[in-house]
Amino acid sequence: MLKVKKPLVKLWQLLLVFISGIVCVVATHYDAFLYHQPVGEVVQVLHSKTTTVQDEYQNTDQQTKQQLRLRVLNGSYRGHYFTVSNTYTRSGALDVPYHRHQQVMMSIERVKGKPTAAISNPKRDTSVVFTLWLAITLTLLFMRFSGVMALLSIGINALLFYAAICWDLHWNGANVLMIFGSLAVLFAIMTLTLVLGFHKATIIALTATLGGTFLALLIGTGIMNITHEKNIYFEAMAYVTQLPRPLFRAEILLGSLGAVMDIIMDMVATLTQVCHEQPNLSHRQIFITARHIGQSIMGPLINVLFMIFIGSTLPMAILYLQNGNSIAYTFHFVMSLGIVQSLISGIGITLAVLLTEILASWLMGKKVNTDVNH
Amino acid sequence: MSTIEALGLALLLLMIIVGGKQGIKSFVSLLTNFLLLWLALLLIKLKLPIIPTTLIIGAVVLAVTIYLGSDNMLSAQTAFVASLLVMILVAFVIVPVEHWARVQGFGTEDAEEIVGFSLQIGIPFLQMSIAAAIFSTLGAIAEASMAIATACYTLIKQNEQMTPQQLYHDGITAGKDIIGTTLNTLFFGFFGGFLALFIWFVGLHYRWGTVINDKVFIAEILLILFAIIGVVLTVPVTAWLMSKQLHAQQIDNKHNK
Repeated sequence: MLKVKKPLVKLWQLLLVFISGIVCVVATHYDAFLYHQPVGEVVQVLHSKTTTVQDEYQNTDQQTKQQLRLRVLNGSYRGHYFTVSNTYTRSGALDVPYHRHQQVMMSIERVKGKPTAAISNPKRDTSVVFTLWLAITLTLLFMRFSGVMALLSIGINALLFYAAICWDLHWNGANVLMIFGSLAVLFAIMTLTLVLGFHKATIIALTATLGGTFLALLIGTGIMNITHEKNIYFEAMAYVTQLPRPLFRAEILLGSLGAVMDIIMDMVATLTQVCHEQPNLSHRQIFITARHIGQSIMGPLINVLFMIFIGSTLPMAILYLQNGNSIAYTFHFVMSLGIVQSLISGIGITLAVLLTEILASWLMGKKVNTDVNH
Repeated sequence: MSTIEALGLALLLLMIIVGGKQGIKSFVSLLTNFLLLWLALLLIKLKLPIIPTTLIIGAVVLAVTIYLGSDNMLSAQTAFVASLLVMILVAFVIVPVEHWARVQGFGTEDAEEIVGFSLQIGIPFLQMSIAAAIFSTLGAIAEASMAIATACYTLIKQNEQMTPQQLYHDGITAGKDIIGTTLNTLFFGFFGGFLALFIWFVGLHYRWGTVINDKVFIAEILLILFAIIGVVLTVPVTAWLMSKQLHAQQIDNKHNK
C-alpha cells in the first residue's frame, strides 16, 4: 500500500466504526421485544427428507421437507416451544431452508383452542441493517464531509418521496403524473441550486434538466401512441395498484431525473470553470467544449440506467424461459417496459445535453467578431 | 414498426446529433450490453454455474461500456482494471449478504404475476438474485471509474512532476464531487424503477416490522445499497491504480534518462 502523509483513518475512528457495526448487528439480533408479530428462533432441526421432483417442463428439482422446533422470543407466547414443518426446494423461488439458531417471523393462531404456529418469513432486519451500516461507513470513510452531504441529500429526497407517495394515495392515484412531475421540478431546483449556487449557469442547468426530461417524456408518449404500444404489455407491469400508464410515466420521469442532473451538472461546472479561465470564448468555442464533455459522459450514463432497469428483471426472465416460453415472448413480457424506460431516459439525457450546448453557447459565449473589428 | 424499434431509432438519431461518431459507439455499447445480458441468461439456462458466468459476462460488459465510451485509451485501461477489481470486491459483499438475507425469487407481492408458473425450475433463485445484483451495479461502477480515471489523467497532465501519493490524494478529492452526483443518479434510477412497489407498500399501511423483513422490499433496498457500495469503492481503487501507474511510469522515465 501507499504511504500517505495523513493517515486515511485514525485508530479511534476505526474503532468507532467497528463498535457501531457490532452494536447494529447485536441490537437487531435481540430486538424481538419490539415486534408485535411473534418472533421465534429455530432451536433444533428435527429431521429432514429430500426427494427429487420433476415438473411438466422436465425441470428436475430437489424438494426437502424439514421439521423445526421453534422457541418464541416475544409476546404472550414467549418461552413456548412449537414444532412446525417447512418445505423448501433447491430453486427456492418462494421458500427458504431454515437452520439452527436462525430467527424467524411467525404467526400463531388458536385452532380449536390449541395454539398452532407457522413460519411466515425469515427475520431479515439484521442483514439489511448490517448492509446499510457497511454502505454508510464506506461512504463516510472515503468521502468524509462530502459523504455526509450526499447521504443527507439522499435522506431528504427519500422523505420527500414518502410525502409525495402519501399525497398520491390521498388522491387515489388520480394525479400521479402531476404530483411526481411537481416533485421532479422541486428535486431539480433543490439539487441544482445546492450544488451550483445561484448563477446564470444554474438557470441553464435547470432549463436543460427539466426541458430534457419532460420533452423526452412527451416524445416517448407520442411515439408510443403512434406505434399503438406495439409489443408493449402494461399488464406485465409489476406491483401496480393504480392506473399503469400514468404511473409508468411518473417512473420514467423520476428514473431519468438523477442521471440527467448528473450529466448537466458535470457539463455546467466544467463550462463555468472554462469561462472563468478564458472569459472571451466565442459562442462556437463554448458549444464545442460543451459538446466534447457531453458526448463522452452520455453513453456510460445511459448504461447506468439500462443496467439498473434490465439487470433486476433477470430472475423473472429465467422463470419465463424455464416454463417453456420463447425468447421473444420472454423479452416482450419481462423486459419491454424496462427497455422503453431506458430508451426514453436515454432520449432525455441526449436532449438535455443538446439543450445545455445551445443555452450555454448562447448565454455564456461572447461575440468575438465585433471585438476583432474594433 | 414496434414501439421499441421506434424509440430506439429516435435515441440513435439523437445520439448521432449530439455525439457524432462517439454517439454511434455509445449506442453500439448499449446494444451489445443488452445482447450480453441475454447471453448470460441463455448460458444459465444451459445449467452453467451462475456466479462464474455472471462475473465473466460482467467483465465483458465493463470492457464494452468503458472502451466504447471513452476516447482516451490510457485512462480507459486503468478504468477497466479498476472496475474489474471493484466488481470482484462488490461480489464479495453481495454473495454473503444475499445468503444471509434470503431475498431470492419472489414474494407474496408477486403472487399475481407468477400464478400458473412452475416454480421448481431446478435453477437456484438465490444465485439468480446474486447475478441480478451484480449486473445492476455494473453500469454505475463503469461510469464512476471512467470519470475518476479521466480526472486523474487530467491532474497528471496539469502537473507532470506530481508524486504518486499526491495523485492518490487529489484523485480521491476529485472523486468526492463525481460520486456525489453519481449517488444521486442511483437514487433516482432505483426509485424510478420501484415507484409502483413503494406506492403499494405505503398504501397497504404495512407495519414497520413487516416492511423491514419483507422479501421484495428488502431485495430492492439491498440492490440500492450494493450499488452505493460499488460506486464508493470505485474512488479509492481507481485513484490507487492511477498512482501505481504513475509510479511505474516515473521509474521508467528515470531508467530511460
